[in-house]
Amino acid sequence: MFEQSLLSALAGAALATLAGGTFYKLKVVRSIAVLRGAIAQQEGQLLQASEREATQAAQHEAAQLGLANDLSRLQRELVVKSDALSDAQSIINAAAADKAQWLTQAGKIAGEAARLNALAATFERWHEQMISLMEQNQDMHAKNQELSSIVRHVVIVSLNASIEAARAGTAGRGFAVVASEVRALAARSEELSKSYRDSLHRNDLTTTTTFQDIQAGGKMITASLGSVKVLADQFQTTLH
Amino acid sequence: MISIQATDSMERIFRRAVQARLPLSADDNCEVTRQESVLPHAGENVVMLTISSIMFRMIMVLHFDEDVNTRAYCVDLIGEVSLLDVLLEAWNLCCGAVNQELLEFFPDLGMSTPYVLGASCMHYLDELKPDYLASFAIEINGCARFAATLGVCAQATVDFVANETAITETNGELELF
Repeated sequence: MFEQSLLSALAGAALATLAGGTFYKLKVVRSIAVLRGAIAQQEGQLLQASEREATQAAQHEAAQLGLANDLSRLQRELVVKSDALSDAQSIINAAAADKAQWLTQAGKIAGEAARLNALAATFERWHEQMISLMEQNQDMHAKNQELSSIVRHVVIVSLNASIEAARAGTAGRGFAVVASEVRALAARSEELSKSYRDSLHRNDLTTTTTFQDIQAGGKMITASLGSVKVLADQFQTTLH
Repeated sequence: MISIQATDSMERIFRRAVQARLPLSADDNCEVTRQESVLPHAGENVVMLTISSIMFRMIMVLHFDEDVNTRAYCVDLIGEVSLLDVLLEAWNLCCGAVNQELLEFFPDLGMSTPYVLGASCMHYLDELKPDYLASFAIEINGCARFAATLGVCAQATVDFVANETAITETNGELELF
């Protein structure tokens, strides 16, 4: 009985062990399957991560290449800009030199214009000479008038002489000839005096208009020089 | 060498200047009438003045007599000043006004001082070979009578058009003489 019980117990234990072993085995198999699934999932994730990294690496590489290209382009542009800057600097230097030269030239022009303003004194001298010339003309007018008066007197005297010569008859013939000659000379003198008077009038007009043209022209030049000086001064101020 | 519109313009400027500056009072009535023929014989004496530019010179002549009417108009208004001084000043103002208007078209201009001559010399005006010559009769308040001659000698073509409106309100070019 005991034996049977023992056997039964043993059998039961064996069965339990077998059942436990089977159960364990099943559990292990299940665990292995779970682990395999997890490993497969991990592998998939790793693969995805690897693919992402590969994509990112490709993108980085492309970006790096782009940056390298940009860098190269910027370097080229820098060279070009640097050259342009150098040229601009040269131009600025040249302009600065030109400005200094212009400043000097503007100063010279203003100085010359100011100096030439002294021409006014020359015009004033011409004015005085013209006044002197016109006074001489007036003097000649007066003398010619006096001459004309004398000539008229001579004509009257010669006429009286002719009358007296006629009264004297034969004795006065010679005197009549002389009186006639004197009258003829007086007539010629009168003509000459008239002609001389006309010349003086003509001379008055020519002298006056010529002088006035010179005088007005002088003022025109003086005004123009004044404008040049103002412009030169303004130019100088702008350059400063 | 002077275009028709330029001579018209000069004449217009001249008339405006005379009407504005020759009368001694702003209320005086000044008539300026263009004469068909040139009047070299007008007046006993003349006041002559020249405006010069690079291209031309303009000769402006005021003919006057020292008669009772002229003396009455000029001297009575001024007082102690001589007739000649009054006329020299008045004609200087007229020419200054012409000069002022011409400056708008010719930037380089100069004006002489006035000078008095006997009117006989005006018979020889043609010897200056003017390209334009015109005479005017001037009457102020119906009593004071003058004549004027305007002559222009040009060395180049002169062409411009002055406006039709009134003279610019300036006092002309003041000259000391």
